[in-house]
Amino acid sequence: MALISIRGLTKRYGTSVTALDALTVDIETRIVGLVGSNGAGKSTLLKILLGLIDSTSGEATVFDLDVKTHGTDIRQFVGYMPEHDCLPPDTTATDWVSHLALMSGLPRTAARERTAEVLRHVGLYEERYRAIGGYSTGMKQRVKLAQALVHDPRLLLLDEPTNGLDPSGRDEMLELVRRTGTEFGMAVIVASHLLNEIERVCTHLVAIEGGQLLRSAPLGDFTEQTGTLAVEVDEDAPRLAERLAGQGMSVALDGRAVLVALAGDQTYDLVRDAVAELGLPLLRIEARRHRLEDLFRDAPAGSGGAVPVASPVAGPPA
Amino acid sequence: MATGQTGSIYDIGYRKYDGPRLGRAHAVRSLFLHSLRSSFGIGRGGRAKIAPLVLAAIACIPAVAIIAAQALFRQFPGGGALDDELPIRYDTYASTIGLFIILFCAAQAPDLFGRDQRHSLLSLYFARALRREDYALARLAGFMVAVFALQMLPHVVFFLGQVLLATDVLRGITDDLPEMAAVVVQALLTAGLLGGISMAISAFTRRRAYAVAGIIAAFIIPSIVAGIVIGIGSLGLGRWLVLLSPTSVLEGTNAFLFGTPAGGLFEGFILDVPDLAFFGAAAIGIATSVAVTIRRFRGITA
Repeated sequence: MALISIRGLTKRYGTSVTALDALTVDIETRIVGLVGSNGAGKSTLLKILLGLIDSTSGEATVFDLDVKTHGTDIRQFVGYMPEHDCLPPDTTATDWVSHLALMSGLPRTAARERTAEVLRHVGLYEERYRAIGGYSTGMKQRVKLAQALVHDPRLLLLDEPTNGLDPSGRDEMLELVRRTGTEFGMAVIVASHLLNEIERVCTHLVAIEGGQLLRSAPLGDFTEQTGTLAVEVDEDAPRLAERLAGQGMSVALDGRAVLVALAGDQTYDLVRDAVAELGLPLLRIEARRHRLEDLFRDAPAGSGGAVPVASPVAGPPA
Repeated sequence: MATGQTGSIYDIGYRKYDGPRLGRAHAVRSLFLHSLRSSFGIGRGGRAKIAPLVLAAIACIPAVAIIAAQALFRQFPGGGALDDELPIRYDTYASTIGLFIILFCAAQAPDLFGRDQRHSLLSLYFARALRREDYALARLAGFMVAVFALQMLPHVVFFLGQVLLATDVLRGITDDLPEMAAVVVQALLTAGLLGGISMAISAFTRRRAYAVAGIIAAFIIPSIVAGIVIGIGSLGLGRWLVLLSPTSVLEGTNAFLFGTPAGGLFEGFILDVPDLAFFGAAAIGIATSVAVTIRRFRGITA
């Protein structure tokens, strides 16, 4: 049973804008990063899961319940931290969060108690009795997080949780997200376009672009070694590339770097020898890893837009 | 991790919640009560209470004044004659305070829906255990009950005063009870019609000023038109225009409920519109306001 199951989910606005395009993916219990550039469809997906907007076609279930027919049942156990401002300036944090706790089905006394606990937990002490209008951005983000946690949800949806926070605030928020997923028994989905932050806290990534699924895999898959050696020389890289291609290696050119497919340990020796024979100034030999950014470039992952070099001895280009 | 820095996010022991979860019904009830309290400014700071409480007090002044006058006049021989010629009675009280009911609607209704939209709070509400329609209906019902309470309060004060002044308390009660029944029905219609229209208007704008102006216009302009229609004494299709004015509709229902010739705007004029038409217009007005409000929040982007 997947925590969240999505099948062919499509969302169109009119005839021109397609926010989600037949998205199909399962999401299990983990800290999941939902990554994609701005406008990729992350927020749209979260809103459909919450029932805030209706999909054009396709299905989605949360906790095995259909989001279209069991919205209120699902939402009792889901916490949502929206990206935009959503706090009333003339209400205190305590009043607002306990009001929302009631809206999530908590009895009145429990709502008050949970509100006090959760506001302390996110670091708001005396401030919680002041009106929200006077809070700093960091404090407001904490109130947003608190209202998402107050009813002890089983699933937490965070949309750009570090929005507007200074670096130490970002660190704290990310640490809290990580601990929420690992220690509090809550499934967490973090939607963000900041890949380096996602890398720090998430164990699994779902990458979306243009409303479609790019890839869904554990974080390690995205950052494993590509099996490519990057050889950077200060001058004459094309000559080195030709020489290596002439020796039968699969070679591509990427600016000043020559990318060589790793065929085994002997590749290192061959490259070293070629560079030495040509007398080129060697800057770096590096085993390339995938980077998340590679996902979002037009070229196939790993080559970084490199240009293959034809081998004069072997047949057609690799 | 916990280093004692104040204001930083750290874990001091997040606890799970294993208690009861009361679901949609509880959420709707809570929002209804919250809206009812908000209508009187309760729970939103001192300044929010001024307008509603002042209006409620003003609405009660005539009742209190009459009671006091009656008590005073009884002390003199022949003073009991006042009781037979009270300037304000159950059937005329509603139109006496009609303006204050409208002011209450214009002052309080805009905040109930407008605030949530102005500060983008709807996404937090809709991400909770209640549906969009629930949200709309809970807020609507909360305000309607507030208007009902506002209309009933002075009548209840008046009723209690009459009962206490009566020489035979029990007879005092039974004498006035039928009138109070009519008061309740009229208050229900007022709450539904004026409350419903005010909330429907406020649902569509986040700007308080527009909602206030819209509500006042929605009540005053048609009543001016109705006044003209009655003044001209038109007997043709024109007389049905009266039904487009909420205040006139309520005058009509009031007249029927108390069995008196229509007072207020209608005083002294003959208006050949059947009583049933007023009730029909009220029902249509209430139903339309509710439907429009629900539709608005079904479609709004949170």
